[in-house]
Formats: sequence, C-alpha cells, structure tokens
Amino acid sequence: MQIPILKTVHLNKIYHGAVEFHALKNIHLNIQPGEFISVVGASGSGKSTLLYVLSTMDTDYQGEIYFDGQLLRNKNANQLAELRNENIGFVFQFHYLLPEFTVLENVMLPALKLGKYSEEQIRLHALEKLNLLGLDKIAEKKANTLSGGQQQRVAIARALINQPKIIMGDEPTGNLDSKNASAVYEIFRLLNQQFQQTFLIVTHDMEFANKTDRTVFLKDGEIINDQSNQPRSS
Amino acid sequence: MKKNTIIKIAWKHLLSRKRQTIVALLGVTFGNAIFIFQGGLMTGFQQLFIEQTINTSAHIRLYNEAKTQRQSILSKTERYSNSWLVVHNQKPKEESPKIKNARGIVKWLENQPEIEGVSPSLAAQVIFKNGISQVSARVVGTDIVKENLLFNVEKYNLQGSITKLQTIPNGIILGEGLANLLNVQVNDNILVTSAANVALEMKVVAINKTGITELDKSRAYINTRNAQKLLMVDNDYITDIPIRLKNIDDAENFARLLEKKFELRALDWKEANANIFSVFRIQNMVTYLIITTILIVSGFGIFNILMMIIYEKLPDIAILKAIGYKNQDIVRIFLLESVFIGVTGGILGLVVGFLMQKIVGSIKMNVKGFVTLEYLQFNSSVSFYLFAFFFALLVTAIAGYIPARKASKTDPIEILRAK
Repeated sequence: MQIPILKTVHLNKIYHGAVEFHALKNIHLNIQPGEFISVVGASGSGKSTLLYVLSTMDTDYQGEIYFDGQLLRNKNANQLAELRNENIGFVFQFHYLLPEFTVLENVMLPALKLGKYSEEQIRLHALEKLNLLGLDKIAEKKANTLSGGQQQRVAIARALINQPKIIMGDEPTGNLDSKNASAVYEIFRLLNQQFQQTFLIVTHDMEFANKTDRTVFLKDGEIINDQSNQPRSS
Repeated sequence: MKKNTIIKIAWKHLLSRKRQTIVALLGVTFGNAIFIFQGGLMTGFQQLFIEQTINTSAHIRLYNEAKTQRQSILSKTERYSNSWLVVHNQKPKEESPKIKNARGIVKWLENQPEIEGVSPSLAAQVIFKNGISQVSARVVGTDIVKENLLFNVEKYNLQGSITKLQTIPNGIILGEGLANLLNVQVNDNILVTSAANVALEMKVVAINKTGITELDKSRAYINTRNAQKLLMVDNDYITDIPIRLKNIDDAENFARLLEKKFELRALDWKEANANIFSVFRIQNMVTYLIITTILIVSGFGIFNILMMIIYEKLPDIAILKAIGYKNQDIVRIFLLESVFIGVTGGILGLVVGFLMQKIVGSIKMNVKGFVTLEYLQFNSSVSFYLFAFFFALLVTAIAGYIPARKASKTDPIEILRAK
C-alpha cells in the first residue's frame, strides 16, 4: 500500500467569530498518489475551507493532517512554506500572475524560490511546461496582456514547475467560459494520465466534477458521499 | 537566484508607481540635503570656533585666583556652643595676583613631556587713548617670541611685524577691533594708562586678527617689562602662565594636577569656554531636532508609498505566499523598496547638500558675531557625510519596515479564496 499524499484524521475546524461556526466536522479523507479528485458542495458547505486547511495555509484546525506521511502540526510557518513550494501546486479561480512579469518569469517564480536548479535550467523547465500547455509562443509576453483562458493556463504551468506531489485547485474553471473550462479539464486529465499527477479540485461545476475519477460531496462541513465516478467513455 | 527574484519584484513595484516613488525619493533627498547644509553650517562654525580658540589661547591658564570668600579670623578661634559670631563689612584681604616663584614653576613646566611650551606673562587692565577715543582693554605683557610659538600670533597678523615688539622699546600689538575703535594704524602712537596711574606713550607695531570678535576687540600685547612698568611692580612679577599642551585632550587632567601641585588656579580651555560650549549644545539640539523632523516627514513619504503599493499588490503578496515565499521574503521585498528609496534619495541628498555648501560657502557674507568671517565655514568631513547618510538610511529603513511587516502578515486565504 502506498503512502497517501494527504490523510486527515478527525479533522475539525471551528470559526470563532461572533457566532461559533463548525465549518468542518470530523473529516476523514485519504488521497492516494495519482488520484484525480473533486470536492463539491453548496456554498458554505466547507469545501473551500477544507482545501485551504489541506493546503497548509490555514493552520487553525483540530485533528491531524499527514502530508506524504509527515504530520503537519509539527511544522512551523517557514517549514510549511517550504513544503508548499516544493510539493503543492496551486490553481485558483483567478490566475494571480504578477502583472509586470512575463509569462516565462511568472512560471519560473516557484522554482527560483526552491533554488534546486540553476536559473538557466529553470528557464528550460518552464519552457517545457509552457510547450506542454501550448503557450510557448507567448512566453515573453507580459502576463497582463493575455486572455483569461491563457492566463489560467499560465497559472497551471506555474503550478507544475516544481513537479509537485499534488495540485490543488479552488474553482479553477469558475471564471472561465465553457470552452476554456473544458480546455482546463483536458489539461488536468492529460497531466493525470501522462504523469500520474495528483489533483484535488474544489468546484461547484458538476460537469467538471463528474469527469473526475472521484468526487467528495460536502454538506454543512461533513462528507456526505465519497464516490468513484464512471470511467470516461472516451 | 532567489535574491534576484526578490530584487526584481521590488524594482517592478517601484516602477509601477513611478511618480510616487520619485516624490518619496525627493523627500529623502531634501531631508538629507538640509542635514548636510544646516548641520554642516552649525558644526562647521563650531569647529572653526574651537580651532581658533585652541590655536589662539592657552590650553591651560595658571594664575592666582582672588578668593572672594574669606573666613573671618574670629571663626578660627574656639567656638562656644551658645555664642554668635558676627563680623560686618569684612573687607577682602589684600592679595597680590602675583604668582610666587613663577620662574621655578616655569622651569618645572618646561621639563614636562606633556607640555609644548609656556609663555609667562602678566595682564593689566588699562585705558587706551588716542585723541578723544578712549577704550578700556587688557594688555598682555609677554615675550612675543614665546607667545608666537604657542599661539600663532604671527599667523593672525594683519599688518606690521610682531617681532618689532622686541626691537622697539615701547611697541604694542593691537587686535583689529581695538585698532578700529581707537582709529589707529601701524606706526601710530597711543597713550596707555594703567590702574596704577602710570601712563606710557606706545607705538603700534602690528595689528592682528584672530577672527574671534571678543578677543580682537579687547586684547593687546606689549613686552613684559613695559607691563611691569605700567603696574609699578618688580621684574619678577608674573600673573599668568599660559600653557600649551601637545595633546589638548590632556588639558583637564593636567590642570587638576597643576592645581594640586602649585596651589594655583589652573583653568583648562574647556572650562574657560564652558558657557560657549553649552550654547553649542543647545544649538546642536535644536538643529538636529529640526533635521530629524524633516527626515521623519520624508519617512512618512516612504511609508505612504509603500502602503499604497502593498494595498495594490495584495494579490501578488498572497500568491507569493501560496507558492512558498516566506514571511521574511515578503518583508525583504518591501524593505528593499524603502532602502532603495533611502539610498538613492540619500546619495542625491548628499550631492545636493554638498552643492549647497559650495554655493553658499562661496558667497561673501562678512559675518560679525562670535567670530568674524568673510565666508561661511561648513563641516564637509567624510564622517559627517557618512553620519547624515546612515541617519537617512535608518529613518527610511524604519519607515519601510512597518509596512513591510504588515504586508508579510497578510492572510493569503482571504485574498485567494474563490468568491
């Protein structure tokens, strides 16, 4: 049995506001390498909250999270930042590219931070990723001159650059038209098939969710259903 | 590599807000230029004053201090517990300002390794007369050769020749202010009258100018013998032993030592000019308070632009944190921005301040006050410039650190979360 990339044990999250709000209730979730998982639910169901707790950015939770076998609670903010840098790729609803930088520079950013390779090697890796996503023609363009679909694909290239163990998405197609949304799905599927890239995608787009391998349904902070989807007939 | 990225991000941020960056930068430039100009003027003047004082007056002056408080002789008698001792109208005891065994002391002093030289002299309060002009002043009776060795009389000589004091038996050297008051020139004669009512006709052989107004207005040199004649005293009569040290910083300690050894008053130059130094201290305090305020205002400029950039770049900060940039990386980015503004503005400020010093320093001002100057004197020492630069840098670093810390504390989830 493989070590799960993510494993939660009795995961709970309570927002302490004016009114206490139990956002995640006793979540047990295992994510194996190579899985393509979607998390769905109505707004307020806790799906985004779950993602950000799993992303290591939100550390205010009860219960335990194991990332690739390591207990996250023992890590400080800097160690968590390093873990994100090396092991987690992010795709958000908006692209969050640095507008003054070129596409290539944006893609290189996480790798430059990691500092494992020389700048020249990183440039080659970045071009490789851009090539894979059909973006090599616009590598030298400023990020703020691209269309929405292109920007989201650049963001995916950026998520890929450090060859992370998992890519997390928070409504990655939420801001795209259906054509671009399916293009993003196709990219994810391709990466999943070719490189066994693991995905954890939070979405309210049921069409997208149905095409993933496994869908977790959340309601009021609880997992109400965790099902494998029909293999695609393609 | 990582550093390059941070520098690049900081640089792009500044470029995205060019106009505000330039305004913030000019704020630092202005603050630093004022620092260099104003502070330079202040300290330059003070240095000049101290230098002139050290060059033209004694480092330690040894003399017999008239004791104003004298115990009544009755108090030395046996005291009774239930008795009063009252003496009204007690007169000061007649005490001669003469230094006893002056020759012996001078001889001892001349053998001390700390001492560069001594010039025993006597001073007399006199009235100068030239026609209807009457001026009261102090004449110093001295050996002009020794005096010159110690106090650069020659260097500050304006007209005539100081060595004539030795060759012309009734020669006198006047300060410039004194000569002007008396309306005399070199080779003119004046009448000198002492408190002992001795009058001597003397010939002006030289006029000198130290630049210290008070001194130039009230000092004259004559030879020792003439001074003794004016006071009607014997030729051992010496009231003052001005001492010049090799190292002026020894003055205070050496003065205390002399006081103990000879039971005379030894006044060191710091003590003698204490009131002026305290004026300097207040002056410096006010000046640096103003300069600091200006620099703090320019610090606010930096604070302002950084807050603006941070507000605008919140999404960038959030994504950088998400992809693994640490809090200290974020602090570095914004600190770098403020340091860039601080360094560039600081260097520009030094240049502008330097130019202001040069321009104002080349205008003939003819200042008459504490000191007499044709041109304003500025402190343009490297250490002063470095101090100004690092002070500006410190202010900008503090002004930058506060917003930088705030930026690093932003919660990325709030910004990144899908709405």
